[in-house]
Amino acid sequence: MTRRTGVFVCHCGKNIAATVNVKKVAQELAKDEGVFFSEDYVYMCSDPGQGAVIDAIKKNNLDGMVISCCSPNLHEKTFRDASELGGLNGFQCEIANIREQCAWVHKDIGKATEKALKITRAAIKRVQRNQPLEPIGVPVTRRALVVGGGIAGIQAALDLTDAGLDVILVEKQATIGGNMIKLSETFPTLDCSQCILSPKMVAVSKNPKIRLMTQSEVESVSGFVGNFRVRIKTKAQYVDPEQCKICDDCTAVCPVAVPNQFDQGLTNRRAIYIPFAQAIPASFNLDEEACLGLNPVVCGKCEEVCEAGAIDYDRKPTVTEEDVGAIIVATGFDLYGMDKLGEYGAGRYKDVLDGLQFERLCSASGATGGHVLRPSDHRVPKEVVFIQCSGSRDPENHCAYCSKICCMYTAKHATLYKHHVPDGQAYIFYIDIRSGGKGYEEFVQRTMENDGVVYLRGRVSKVYQKDGKLRVLGVDTLTGTNVEIDADMVVLAQAMQPSKGTAEIAKTLKIGRDKDGFLAEAHPKLKPVESVTAGIYLAGAAQGPKDIPETVSQASAAAGKVIALLSKAELAHSPAVARVREPWCTGCEMCVDACPFEAIELVAGKARVNEVLCEGCGSCSGVCVRSAIDVKNVTQLQIHEMISAILA
Amino acid sequence: MSDPSQEPQKFEPRIVAFLCKWCSSAGSDLAGVSRLQYSPNATPITIPCSGSVSPLYILSAFNKGADGVLVSGCHPGDCHYMEGNYLARRKLYLVKELLQFVGLEPDRFRMSWVSAAEGAKFAQVVDGFVKDIRTLGPQNRLRR
Amino acid sequence: MVNPKEIRDYAAGLLEQGRVKSVIGYRRGTAGCFAEPCTLTEPGEAGSLVWDPTCLNNLALYLVKDRKQQAASRTPDRRPIGIVAKGCDSRAVAVLLQENYFKREEVVVIGVSCEGTGVVDPRKLKNSLKGRSALKVEFGGGESIRITTRAGESELPAREVLADRCLECREATPKLHDVLFGESLAERGYDAPFRAVKAAEATSGEARWATWQHHFDRCLRCFACRSVCPLCYCPECVVDSTSFVITPQTSAEEKANRIRWCERSANTAESALYHLTRAIHLAGRCVDCGECERVCPVNIPLRLLNTKLEMEAFEQFDYQAGRDYDRPALISSFRDEDPNSFIR
Repeated sequence: MTRRTGVFVCHCGKNIAATVNVKKVAQELAKDEGVFFSEDYVYMCSDPGQGAVIDAIKKNNLDGMVISCCSPNLHEKTFRDASELGGLNGFQCEIANIREQCAWVHKDIGKATEKALKITRAAIKRVQRNQPLEPIGVPVTRRALVVGGGIAGIQAALDLTDAGLDVILVEKQATIGGNMIKLSETFPTLDCSQCILSPKMVAVSKNPKIRLMTQSEVESVSGFVGNFRVRIKTKAQYVDPEQCKICDDCTAVCPVAVPNQFDQGLTNRRAIYIPFAQAIPASFNLDEEACLGLNPVVCGKCEEVCEAGAIDYDRKPTVTEEDVGAIIVATGFDLYGMDKLGEYGAGRYKDVLDGLQFERLCSASGATGGHVLRPSDHRVPKEVVFIQCSGSRDPENHCAYCSKICCMYTAKHATLYKHHVPDGQAYIFYIDIRSGGKGYEEFVQRTMENDGVVYLRGRVSKVYQKDGKLRVLGVDTLTGTNVEIDADMVVLAQAMQPSKGTAEIAKTLKIGRDKDGFLAEAHPKLKPVESVTAGIYLAGAAQGPKDIPETVSQASAAAGKVIALLSKAELAHSPAVARVREPWCTGCEMCVDACPFEAIELVAGKARVNEVLCEGCGSCSGVCVRSAIDVKNVTQLQIHEMISAILA
Repeated sequence: MSDPSQEPQKFEPRIVAFLCKWCSSAGSDLAGVSRLQYSPNATPITIPCSGSVSPLYILSAFNKGADGVLVSGCHPGDCHYMEGNYLARRKLYLVKELLQFVGLEPDRFRMSWVSAAEGAKFAQVVDGFVKDIRTLGPQNRLRR
Repeated sequence: MVNPKEIRDYAAGLLEQGRVKSVIGYRRGTAGCFAEPCTLTEPGEAGSLVWDPTCLNNLALYLVKDRKQQAASRTPDRRPIGIVAKGCDSRAVAVLLQENYFKREEVVVIGVSCEGTGVVDPRKLKNSLKGRSALKVEFGGGESIRITTRAGESELPAREVLADRCLECREATPKLHDVLFGESLAERGYDAPFRAVKAAEATSGEARWATWQHHFDRCLRCFACRSVCPLCYCPECVVDSTSFVITPQTSAEEKANRIRWCERSANTAESALYHLTRAIHLAGRCVDCGECERVCPVNIPLRLLNTKLEMEAFEQFDYQAGRDYDRPALISSFRDEDPNSFIR
């Protein structure tokens, strides 16, 4: 316990002094036990103010310092640094917040002064039992894991290798490319998605610093920033990508046909398949769920015809353990389920398409070889209705949020449709047009003016089939009239939602999700690529709806964060961690179970804290019935003294 | 004729408020920045996480004469440490039930979720709590 | 019905085979007809074991005592111990296992089902015999207790003389056991679980405080409740540091800086703090053996505080102390659907 505590009470100009009698606070505290120095000062955070802190410590040989001022979020670091210059350990300085939590929220000077006294007294009691602490140095593993091989993951991985880091890129599907590779053209410049993405995919496959693991998922993560250990589970690789010559002999003999996810189910593929010609890794894959039985007795045709001998039915799933220093999560998005949009006939009528299906219809490599045809009868649709906000901005029934990209891609869809079917008519139902972004508004204007697309401001109430057409009932709120359109095709601009499996990966990595299920950033404004867990970063639509440029920016930003993090030989970890009072500990493991960071283990019957894993939350001390574990500098003893000081 | 000096002093509730550092304390900072006026009767103690609140803190505060005890943390799902507030919720539910069971007025112990963005809510929670405790008067049951 | 001879034979066997260093059980006491705890170390002593409705003690306490002795000993003997365990005793063993106080292989649980009855409450027995003392108290079969006094033998409905904890017992058969004697009965027609707590809750807060103030006021702070509780095994009680742990590593500062959550004076507020802390520290751990209440010299209904929290644990969190010893403790776990509406 320290005996020579110093106190400064800051006026903050008039900010504090107008409501709190700062002189009185300083004078009263001077009488307190252990307080050796107590003064008020007009602006503590100014240069002379900080100098006063240094002087006071030196002149009075103080062993603890309390600055009674604004929120510790603002100047804790300032005054801890000043205290260090005065010769104290930074952790021997505490802040009493009498501005945000007192002066600014009260008017009665008497009462505010009394409260400021209590707050400062509590801080004095605390600082008198603070221990000097030194940051904990942790060596780092200079490797990164990127989860998700869409454009975000690809960009992040490439940027990381540019800085000389090794990268493990884990992708659940059989190829990288994600949703972007399915797109036909991209707004607002209409460059072809494959043309801009496949060079990056090839760059990934050719990059010796990237270890690409497709058909793989992160199974578990342990460790901490700088030193994670991940377990990656890879599905059985029945076709050896090294040996596969992509000759396509196998598909000719495969008797199974299942919907092709790459074409959003518009076409079929075999059980042995390559997702698309430019897939990376460039190899066929065997879909074990669709295959008749991975057994030569049952079928075995593909194995027979494979001259390269690349097929082996006896392959088993593998689990790999890897050490990495940082993780970027880029698990992307799925479209809001068609099954939830029954009011638009989704899932019921073949010619009601989702946004990605329409991309596949427009794409030269797509289901119809680049011709926009109705799936039901392969006729060219002459009237197409696009419905924006399908599932977005509808808190009662669907998602409350705006999916951000749908206004733009619907305009793009309408433009592409007009390019394919120049004599066709496109209608777009919308709530608002949100076209913030470089060249976006101009693009929408062109769609309206050059392509003659009819924009109808209003919602669609119902879509049903009548006389071989899709009757769309809607309303045009600008003219106040009901609208009925007999369309050949309806395209929904569905909401983006976090990809299937986002909840699981969030749980595995112990990172939070927001109310809509997207991965939560550490701060909505100032930490948009950090997750709440140190060393884990977010990129792309897994964090929230966004378009390609934004996704790429965030991926590069996340990569930049990782590069900065892993550029140091050691990381500094906060030393305000849990400490076990061993004689009291009985090894009941309640703290072990309560710890959100798996930072406590039982060693020889006593709890032991891994100081590097511990984040200092105190969940352990909250559950320990024996008070045998405490967070340094927020000990139960200190809280007890603070309660006593406040209620004295 | 009443003698003013004989009039009982107006009861000023003494409340200890345990605020988690990441949400509720930040929320109270926001109330400050927004200059929202609320009652000065609650003195804050900032703790790392609502999960670090030991039941003893609450019992001890009542023992030392608190008229009310408030624990405020992050909304479920928002905990900076992922799970601390869930642990707090379960533990403090039991504390609340126990205190009520022995006959402490239910309104003397309160828990709230206040996010860093909810300055106004923080002010409301404190004002509401102080109002309820004014109605109850001083806490003498568990006070030493 | 359980034949005590089977227990004796089993205990003798354990000792003979050297599977245990000792067996903790009950023998006939020296005062009146009541049984008392005993520790057998020789097979020949097994004949003294008894099993009847006077086997009141929770023997798990003696496992704790042995563990503390061994921890202090220079030549600790960690061989397994056999223990005769009723439903509640076995739950206490399960909680101790959950808290790693010893390992499963260090204890042989000789489970004995209370079947249709349980143990008697000495006070109730005395009342029902109108002052006469019982010479022998035995299980009468079914839901009756057979009592022998000098006037002869009589059968009483168990309901009249059973301890309150037994009337509310939800698990009269030890779930955790290595061997089990007696029938496992699912249905027992006594009180609904938590009956007394629910009755207390039906009264007003004012009335409850009046009652508890009365009780806390009378507490002598003799700590009998703590001493008899098999789960109050902390090296130092956080609210009363008479048992402060001093090791060669204990610094002067630590000695000086004990947290005085609670003053030693036995007044209402300090006693309330003590009992409330004890209750909350037993939340999810109390197995409702009722020993605290039985030994209280001033008859404070301590079970109520603990069963109140056990009721909440069961009803709100689907948690029962001693049910699954490989599961995390009540307060170090949570579920998304835990009560939330009490939070503003």
